[in-house]
Parts: sequence; C-alpha cells; structure tokens
Amino acid sequence: MFRTKAGALAWISALWASGSTGWAEIRETGVWWLPRNVSNFGHEIDFIFYVILWLTGITAVLVFGTMIYFMVRYRQRAGVGAIHSHGNNTLEIVWTTIPVFIFLALAIYGNEMWARMRMEVPPADALQVAIVGEQFGWNLRYPGPDGKLAKMDSHKITKDNPFGIDPADPDGKDDFTTYNDMVIPVGKAVRLHLGSKDVIHSFYVPEFRLYQDMVPGRVYDFVWFKTDATGHFQLACNQLCGQGHYKMFGKLGVVTPAEYDAWAKGKAPAAVTTSTAAAPENVSVANR
Amino acid sequence: MSTATLSHAGTHDHHDSHETSGWKKYLWSLDHKVIGLQYLFSSLLFLFLGGGLALLLRWQLAFPSTQVMPDGAVGNPLSLAFINPQFYNALFTMHATVMVFLVVMPVLIGAFGNYLIPLKIGCGDMAFPLINELSYWVWLASGLIMLAGFFVAGGAAAAGWTAYAPLSTVGAYNASSTGQSLWAVGLFINGLASIMGAFNYITTIVNMRAPGMGFFRMPLAVWALFITAFLLLLAVPVLSAASAMLVLDLNFGTNFFNPAQGGQPLLWQHLFWFFGHPEVYIMILPAMGMVSDILSVNSRKPVFGYRAMVYAMIAIGLLGFVVWGHHMFVSGMNLVLSAAFGVSTMVIAVPSAIKTFNWLGTIWGGAIRFNTAMLNALAFVAMFVIGGFSGIFMASTPVNIFVHHTYFIVAHFHYVLFGGSIFAMFAAIYFWYPKMFGRLMNETLGKIHFALTFVFFNLCFFPMHNVGLGGMMRRIADPTVYEHLRALQPINQFITLSAIALGFSQIVFLYNFFRSLRHGQPAGQNPWEATTLEWTVGSPPGHGNFAVTPTVYRGAYEYSVPGHAKDFVLQTEPPEPDSPAGVPAKFRPVPAG
Repeated sequence: MFRTKAGALAWISALWASGSTGWAEIRETGVWWLPRNVSNFGHEIDFIFYVILWLTGITAVLVFGTMIYFMVRYRQRAGVGAIHSHGNNTLEIVWTTIPVFIFLALAIYGNEMWARMRMEVPPADALQVAIVGEQFGWNLRYPGPDGKLAKMDSHKITKDNPFGIDPADPDGKDDFTTYNDMVIPVGKAVRLHLGSKDVIHSFYVPEFRLYQDMVPGRVYDFVWFKTDATGHFQLACNQLCGQGHYKMFGKLGVVTPAEYDAWAKGKAPAAVTTSTAAAPENVSVANR
Repeated sequence: MSTATLSHAGTHDHHDSHETSGWKKYLWSLDHKVIGLQYLFSSLLFLFLGGGLALLLRWQLAFPSTQVMPDGAVGNPLSLAFINPQFYNALFTMHATVMVFLVVMPVLIGAFGNYLIPLKIGCGDMAFPLINELSYWVWLASGLIMLAGFFVAGGAAAAGWTAYAPLSTVGAYNASSTGQSLWAVGLFINGLASIMGAFNYITTIVNMRAPGMGFFRMPLAVWALFITAFLLLLAVPVLSAASAMLVLDLNFGTNFFNPAQGGQPLLWQHLFWFFGHPEVYIMILPAMGMVSDILSVNSRKPVFGYRAMVYAMIAIGLLGFVVWGHHMFVSGMNLVLSAAFGVSTMVIAVPSAIKTFNWLGTIWGGAIRFNTAMLNALAFVAMFVIGGFSGIFMASTPVNIFVHHTYFIVAHFHYVLFGGSIFAMFAAIYFWYPKMFGRLMNETLGKIHFALTFVFFNLCFFPMHNVGLGGMMRRIADPTVYEHLRALQPINQFITLSAIALGFSQIVFLYNFFRSLRHGQPAGQNPWEATTLEWTVGSPPGHGNFAVTPTVYRGAYEYSVPGHAKDFVLQTEPPEPDSPAGVPAKFRPVPAG
C-alpha cells in the first residue's frame, strides 16, 4: 500500500491530525490518567482506587512473573519429563483463605466509605440544588434568598412541571431555574435532588468522581459533596438516553462564594411551570 | 470391531441406520457432531458480522461524523456520513447482542458443548437428538429476527444490549420501536433455544455416561458445561419473561416498566441482571473448562487440584446468582442492598482466584508444548487475570461511583469476553479441529494468527482502561463534544487503528481454517496424545461415536504417570493387576459370561 515507510507514517499522522488538531485544551493531568479531582469524596475514592491498584499491580507482577518463569523453565525439552502431581491440599487451603481475607477486607473498607458518602445525613447548611434530566438536557432549580427549595414529588413531574413541585409551596416562591447551567460555590456542601422527566439519565462529573443514575418516578436526595477548588467543568449524562444522549451536557462552574452570590442575585424567580430555555435541537423527541 | 480400528476410513463402513446421507446431513442431521458444526460455522459467520459492527462504531469514535472541526465544518473529513448518532446507538447495541447471543454462547455451548459432551462421556449422541437439532434452527431464527431490525423503519434496536426501561419500552423515547420489538422477540426465541439445549445437556450428562465414568472422572470441560447448563436453565427464563414484558409494554399498552403509569424501571434492571450476571459466567465457565483440559494435555501433567477446580466452578455457579446487584450500585436502588451486593461480589472473586492458581499449578513442573492451542489457552489465563483485576475496582462500591459506565468497564468486559472467551474459543478450535475434520490446522499460520491477535487485542483494549479513567463515558456517539475528552482523541484513534488491525488479523485464521479442511496434515486418532474418550475413536468419529460403549477405568488426566512407557494413559486403559490405583468394584467391567 505504501511505497515507503515515510509514506505510511505520513498517512497515520494525517489520521491523527484530522481528529486532534485545533483542540487547545491540554489537560492539566495528562491524557493517560485520572482527571483533576476537586471533591471531598473524590479524594477518598482516589485513595481506595490506588490501594486496589497497588494490590492488583503487585499481584499481577507475581502472577505473570510466575507464569513466564514456569513457561520458560518447564518448556518441553528432550529427555526431560513432566512431574506427576494431582495437586496439593495445603496449597489449596492457603490460596483460598488469603484471597477470602483480602477481598472481605476490601469489601468492608469500601462499604464503610460507601456508608459515609451515601447513607449519612448531608450537612444541614448544604446548598440544595434540584436537577431533573430530560431528553436531552438538564433542568436545574436553585433556592432563592430563603435558602429553601420547594419540595419535589416524583409523582407530580410532568412536561410542564419538571420539578414536580406544589404551586402553593411557600418555599418555592423565590426559587430560580437554569437550563444546562450549573454553578456552585467552592468549599460549601452541595446536596442534590435528582429526578428525571422521561428516561433514565445520570449525573456524571469525572472531576467530582461522581456518578448517579436518575430514574424517572423517583427523586434521589442522598448525593452530596463539597468542592475544594474552583474551575470550569462539564456535567455529562452517562446513561444512554436516546439519540441525543451524546450531547446531553451542561456547563458546570465551581466559583468563589462571592461570584456565586452575584450569579444567583441576577436570576429571576421562576414560575412553577417553567418553559425550558432549550435550544431547538435540545427539545426531546417525546415533547415534539 | 474394536474402537481402535474405527479410523477415518472406517467411518463410512459403520453407518448407523439413523444417519442422514448427502447434503441433507448438514441441514437436518440429528447427530450431535453435525449440530455442533452447524453451530460452529454459523457463529463464526456471526463473529465476523459482530466484528464488522465493532469496526464501524470504532471508526465513528475516532472520526465522528458529527465532530465540529476547528474551521467550523461539521464532520471529520475521514468520517463515514451514514453513521449518525441513532445508527451509532444501533451499532453498539447490535454488536453486543450479536457477540453475546450469536457468538460466544453458541460457540462455547452450542458448538463445543454439542460436539464434545457425548464424545467425552462415552455415549453415541445427546439424550434428545431431535430437540437438539430443533434448538439449532430456533437459535438461528432468533439471530435473523434480531438482525432484521437493520432493515425496518427506525433501524435496529438502539437502547443498548441492556435495554434499560423506559428508553427501551416507549417508542417515543427510543425512536426505533420496531427494531426494539424485533430485538425482544428474537431474545425470547433465543432463550427457548438455550433452554432446550440446557436440559438436553443435563439429561445426557446425568444419564448417559459410559460405565466407569463417575462424575469425578469427567473432564473439566464436561463439568463446566454441566454447571453452565444449570445456570442457563435457571437464568434464561427470567430474561425471556422480561423480554416478553418489554414487547407488551412497547406494543400492547401494558406498563410494567413505565413510571408515568405506575410501572417500575428498576424492575427491568433487576430482571435483566438476574439473568445478566449468571450470563457472564455462562460465557466464561465453558471456556475455563476447555482451557483446563488444553493446559493439562500440553503440559503433559494432570490438572492441578482437579476437585478444587470442580468445587470452584460450582461455587461460581451458586454465587453467580447473588451478585447481580453490582450492576446497579449507582442505579438508585436501596443503598444497603448495594453494600450487600458489594460483599458477595468480592467473595465471588475467590473461586476465580483459586482457578488461576490451579492453572499455574498445572503448568508448574510440566513439559510444556507451545502449540497454537496452548498459546491461546495461556493467553486466556493471562487476559482473564487482567479482566479479573479490573473487576475488583468495580466491585468496590466507592470506586464504582467513579468508573461506572466509563470505558474502564468496556475494557474490563472485553478482557473477560474477548481476552477470555474468544481466546478460549481459538484454543478449542485449534485443539479439536483435528478431531472434527481429521486434519491439523497449520501451526505456522496458527502462531502468526495468535501473535497478531494477542498484540492487537492488547493495543486495542488496554488503552480503554486509560480513557475510562480519564472520564470517557461509554455509549456516546461523539467524544469530541466534551471538553474533557477532546485531548483523549488521539488515544481513541489509536484504539480504532488497533481494532482494525485486530479485525484483519483474523483473515489469517479464516485462511488457515478453510485451507486445512483439504490440505491440512492428516491428524490420526490422537494427535495430541491426550487421554480422554474422544481421542480413542477416529477423526472425525463415525455416526454413533463408539463402535462399542467404552469402559472407563481412570480419571481424565493421567499424564506422565511414573512407570508407564508413554506419558499418557487413556481413560479406557484397564489398570495393571498390581496397580495401586485400583478401580472401585462398582466401576469394574462385568466379566463376560
């Protein structure tokens, strides 16, 4: 196909260039490894990730080392026969017991962390943010000056009432809404109230090490986190939700508390029935 | 006529009255060997189809048709315009469906299960030959029904092979209602074929073992298929029920899974994964069994810890039914339930670890022959270990919060399913090909094929761990949409080029496979000097397999037994009078007269 090696190389580099030129973003963490980590639980998740990485890494070196050694040492050679052995029960007991303890320890340690992240009551002063997914965008609802968010009822979620709130709820009078635009103050606990209008979506932010499905018919209020650095990220839907799934993302800014207050102050209170400010291609199939 | 004289030429002398002749033999034969080959050839066809779908979806990920280029133009200059986002969703949905239901299951269970079980336990055919043949045709029909989706309005199913409700159950949401219905109907029919096969295998193995073939003398391949058949029988009906409910929701106004009418989307996930996790072991246990046999034969050593291997597989079978919730840690189901499934999931890693240590024990102290079958079997062990390790990350509930549904899990299950099941499939084909066709495959071509497959497999799938940890979601049609993924695009292109090379490497295999049918070196009865019953008859075995029912005197792995002239002892070889390994009275042959 190629007359010269250089020709082949040029073709391959043209392939690469066609996809990758022009993207100025250079990830601060390099392309081969974990992205930035800006949430409190994210650091804990990274820690247990590295524990497992070291554990499996060392075991991999031992297992593959042994395997390669055996393959070389016990290759078929003229005049050398194989050992006749059906096994060794002591060894079986040893290599059953040790993994049992290691895996149970991992499960217990992981579950202790899981319980802290998911089953403890979030801090009372947390900023409450309601997020309701739809094909293919994000409805967000923030509390106004009273700091209280209207109560969400999954059974009341409809096309026109994405958050499933009661119009008479006094807490909701000063709430404001955004679309595909999430802003949170750094250093403050944020508690999410997650729901969906149509199919299952999921709230995914790799820099928070956070994934949570949003199943229609339910509202989840156990996810909370605290950020420790400002930055601009994207929140992505990570549960296949239809033909526009790949571009169901929103802006996510982690800003200073002052910047957050300024941003929130500029927002007008929302009516109960919000007409979402969706771009035409973001209107869901079901709503057309 | 003794079994030894039943050579290749002898197959034509020994016609049973039931053998179908001529071309009809290959369409409607009740012989388990012909049915096994029907499964083998059809699923190899589906393998290349499924691989083609994979290359198309990889092409879209490297060069998206929707990519906004730096100059503002839409569509990468190298992109394929016909791959729009909806078609992309159909591509990965059908790639997975084809590979799971039309390739890995039928190759391992349909082809090798059918071919090997009667030959290895010493009987003439399956217990229910007619049902056996029926299961093949029903299976083939199910595949054609699912694939018909590509030719209907709206295209093939596009809700993922997991078909999460309510995306899959409401036409307005998935925009491919007809294709989705065909998919579910196909899956239901596919389940019928699995159930027919499963109870046939169980009945055959329980009732039709040759005299002396105690359960603990069965080769591990048979044990694995036996346990797999139970898993099929218990898990598949749940999927069939769920897919029937999906069809009803989609077309007939029921609301099992539709929350807008009081249905429960999580019910689908529970039903699907109650099938789906045993399914994972259905697709790997037969591979484990066959690889154990191939490692033992080519190390000239008995399987290390035979009983431990059997118990480990039984443990996997039992625990496999209580771990399904680990697919749902972040689905929003009860949080305590997630924690419980986290523990059972960690525990099921133990029997897999035991099996790995015993495979290492099997090659320890051996006289290892590095033929193509053995290389593929060793690759199976190594790749399965990597797939097992990445599984530990996801079994840990907190880490799962991060890596769930990223390319990390795509890497994980391809290491288990391609690195595991497909390498085992290649090992089994190279190993049993001489028995099936009477000729050996070419070893040089086989090794070239192995080397290319091994290298490009790893170049293709290992970097997926990295892009997954880098935050790349699975099932997105265009990663360049995301700021945090654009920098990863060169890695995605590298993966795609490796995938293409991996795909084209398989041409070497196809060439070798078909060329060796006519030009391969004649294999003879027992080319690998193996001990089990299929190697005591001609290649290929005649109709009815055994001229006289064999009597089994020993276990399946008597290699390098001290004091023997040869380094293997056939299972049918009677014990020497002074042998300490005497046969229990109940297994001794009844003296004539």
